[in-house]
Amino acid sequence: MCGIAGILFKHAEVGLETGKALIDMLDGCQHRGPDSTGFALYGAERADELRLRFFVGEGEAAEDSVRRIKQALAQHQARIIEDQRIGNDYRARVAFRGDVRKFSYAMEHAAPGAKVISIGESLEIVKDVGTAHRVDERYNVHDFAGSHGLGHVRLATESDVKPEAAHPFWATGFADVAIVHNGQITNYWKMRRRLQRRGFEFTTDNDSELIAVYLADKLSQGVPLKEALKMSIDDLDGTFSFLVSTKDEIGYAKDRLAAKPMIMYETDDLIAIASEEVSLNRLFPGQALDTREPPPGSYDTWSRST
Amino acid sequence: MVAIDLAETSVREANERIREAGARGEDVEVLNPDARHHIGVGLTDPITVRVRGSAGYFCAGLTDGPRFEVDNNTGWGLADNMYQGSVVVGGNAGAIAGVAIRGAEVVVKGNLGSRAGQVMKAGTLLCAGNANFMAGYMMYGGRIVILGESGERLGEDMTGGEIYLGGKLHSLGSDAMVTDISRDEIDSVMEFLDRYEIPFKGSLQKVVNAGKNLRYGTTEPTVRSLPFFTFSDDCDYWNRKIQEDIYVKAQIGRYRVRGYGGARSVPHLSDLAFKNDLARLGEEKDPVSKVEMRTLIGGKNGARALDLSMPLMIAPMSYGALSRSAKQAVAIASGLSDIAENTGEGGMSDAQRDAAKQLIFQCLGGRLGWNIHDMRRADGLEIYISQGAKPGFGGQLMAKKVTKELAAIRGIPAGIDLRSPSRHPDILGADDLVIKVEEFREATGYKLPVSVKLGAGRIHDDIKIAVKDGFDFVELDGMQGSTGAGGAEVMEYVGIPTIAAIVAALDALDDIGCRDKIEIVLMGGVRDGIDAVKVLCLGADAAAMGTSAIIAGGCIACMQCHVGQCVTGIATQDPEHEARYKVKAEAQHIHRFLETVRWQIAALTHALGYDHVRRLNRDDLVALTPEAAEITRLPYAPEYREREAALLGKAG
Ligand SMILES: Cc1cc2nc3c(=O)[nH]c(=O)nc-3n(C[C@H](O)[C@H](O)[C@H](O)COP(=O)(O)O)c2cc1C
Repeated sequence: MCGIAGILFKHAEVGLETGKALIDMLDGCQHRGPDSTGFALYGAERADELRLRFFVGEGEAAEDSVRRIKQALAQHQARIIEDQRIGNDYRARVAFRGDVRKFSYAMEHAAPGAKVISIGESLEIVKDVGTAHRVDERYNVHDFAGSHGLGHVRLATESDVKPEAAHPFWATGFADVAIVHNGQITNYWKMRRRLQRRGFEFTTDNDSELIAVYLADKLSQGVPLKEALKMSIDDLDGTFSFLVSTKDEIGYAKDRLAAKPMIMYETDDLIAIASEEVSLNRLFPGQALDTREPPPGSYDTWSRST
Repeated sequence: MVAIDLAETSVREANERIREAGARGEDVEVLNPDARHHIGVGLTDPITVRVRGSAGYFCAGLTDGPRFEVDNNTGWGLADNMYQGSVVVGGNAGAIAGVAIRGAEVVVKGNLGSRAGQVMKAGTLLCAGNANFMAGYMMYGGRIVILGESGERLGEDMTGGEIYLGGKLHSLGSDAMVTDISRDEIDSVMEFLDRYEIPFKGSLQKVVNAGKNLRYGTTEPTVRSLPFFTFSDDCDYWNRKIQEDIYVKAQIGRYRVRGYGGARSVPHLSDLAFKNDLARLGEEKDPVSKVEMRTLIGGKNGARALDLSMPLMIAPMSYGALSRSAKQAVAIASGLSDIAENTGEGGMSDAQRDAAKQLIFQCLGGRLGWNIHDMRRADGLEIYISQGAKPGFGGQLMAKKVTKELAAIRGIPAGIDLRSPSRHPDILGADDLVIKVEEFREATGYKLPVSVKLGAGRIHDDIKIAVKDGFDFVELDGMQGSTGAGGAEVMEYVGIPTIAAIVAALDALDDIGCRDKIEIVLMGGVRDGIDAVKVLCLGADAAAMGTSAIIAGGCIACMQCHVGQCVTGIATQDPEHEARYKVKAEAQHIHRFLETVRWQIAALTHALGYDHVRRLNRDDLVALTPEAAEITRLPYAPEYREREAALLGKAG
């Protein structure tokens, strides 16, 4: 019940208006999900630094959460280099050397009212209720100039639409892996229990988080992203079209029944993928694009030149 | 020639201008389309529309007559349900290109997405490039020509029609086979290619249905008729019904298909009673004049509401399950009582249209009889997702009822055991559904209410999606709903009771603060005006009846609806049997029954102390059983049982 989008600029020198591009693409398919919008964006990375983003909400409780998060950071030898309160989020850049997974799980429990939205050397996830333009107004998404990113619009059916229920999802415990997904994984609990038995934690009941953790686990074992995507088509049941991003790659996978839409446009400079062509056309108004629809059961990846 | 620039004009306005140009016979050029959805939807004049760029979903959908030329690509559902006319696409087409076409010529110079030509009936879908997964899925007729490669599972579950393939055959779908191709067929395809100036030098193979799966191996036996109420009256586990089920299965070796609905007792409206003392009941000799019953349904979002003289509708029942005469009688009665009738599956007839004052046109996954012209003359449009008797399943119409005439109207081969698709080709989630609803609105100028029929299952989620996707009202159907033919186990065990469905639906709406955003018409075992009033008290905006109307019109409840030899002429397509049905007389019976419902609604509302049906509310009810109390959260008050029994005598 959503629309997805992703873009990667292949060469560092061109364009790089990733934030702007994603806002346009999501605005183009906002009819697929008017309730919340989110972005996975990649900024510049620095050695031994992590970017953290927490959902803390607003008001007194938020201030308390921020205090607790700061204490937890200090406890785990993460030194704050720069931090900011923005929208519902607390955002920090920290110096950290250590086991990211343990650190992430600890951060998840840092404050009862807070939730980790993303952790990575370059990844930052921005998501909130409202349209792409509304989220941009609050979080300055258009300023993001990284080489690639993902976006998601969501139609919600829960009681009150909570910002933390928005997508994209981060692969809890694994730096820099994010996912946007349209569809439904039917063997969710089976797959989740399998991963939980191996010590992975889940912070939501959302199947997108599962796909992210599943893929990140493979990546951490040294499996290349493309191979991991191939395995996912065998291991996951259901109908799905999803996009995944890491520090320097984006990829997609589509289930064997091809029940969920996906369309892509590639040039020498960029690859753009979305639920509908109308999103791709937002990047090139007035032009007819030579797009293609990926076949069922297919997957692929693209990486930026470094 | 009119030029319309979509960089400056909304699609809605553009479509109005395209239709105006159509009426004048002027061609149209659409500039800067940028893959927007619904371009040209609902056009029924033979003009040419040139789309200078790429179009989005449902380009040229729900049309009859025009020629479309799209320079580049199109999204999902190209030429959806197009009757006559043509579309030429210069680039690629997304999934389900040519879905449900009935005569159109659709030419795609590039590649096709998945499931091209799903449930198409007639016409030609040509792809000069490669097709994709499941081309020709569930096609009933017409031809698909693929000059490139086939993709996997070509002709999956196709029933009729032909597929011609120029390139590599990846794999065949179930019940599809390669067969010999004749000189005439090759010539005809080549003539088509020449006409659209598509060069092709190779040879063609032909794929058709293999005929192994068009009918059940065995048909239902005719059993001595057992009246439905005897049938359901016994105990829950060993009874005559179970015995008969076993006997039937022993003969046919598979699940049983029958008419009517589940016959297990589950908590129902009969487990609820009115709290107030109804001593006044019957005192007022003319309650109908004392109680306002007029009910408007479907006008929440600006469409023209259905205007019902009482909070009641006829439930959708298919022409197919029912004979044309039975449908006509129901339509006449609905008109006489000034409430709304619903086509159900299988199309609209002139007689039905003329007789029914207000008619909802139902769209199901097979698009059997669905078309733009009847959409326009309907008073409401309804997307069937599922029904209470068999949530998650499509219609079943056994071969005996799939006569030549009926097959022609539906656009399918005659004489098959028709198992209608359980899913829509183009609705695979809430996100696609919203685009579909918009297509209907575009095609009919935003005038008609659009409703959704939901069989109660995960109603808590489904109803929220219905609101989010902008439906004007929901026809909500509990598991006590009946059907013309369904799998017996499904009817008995799948779904949730009608009273549980309405409670879950309203809870869900309250949850998201949308109680006023959508109306609910509740059905599934609503037998009379007493039940209808309980339904209104529970919070529905209106009730609907299927079975009761049919019984009023002469049905003997023998449950042999699926067999096709209905002795009353109601559930048959056999002209000899149908001739027994006296349309005018039965229409009067149904009308008379509907008027008793009106009287009961008025009398009860009045006795409860109200002058308007809208005042009825939950505080008027108590529950007679712990189960019903648990489901409805009404107070458990078994002491009301005797009073309820007395009421049945009085209000009847
Ligand atoms: C003969 C027959 C045919 C039906 N055909 C359809 C149909 O085409 N579409 C649909 O939505 N429901 C169909 N239904 C189901 C009814 O719309 C409705 O859900 C059910 O009859 C309501 O319950 P009731 O019969 O207890 O009043 C059919 C029911 C019957 C009895």
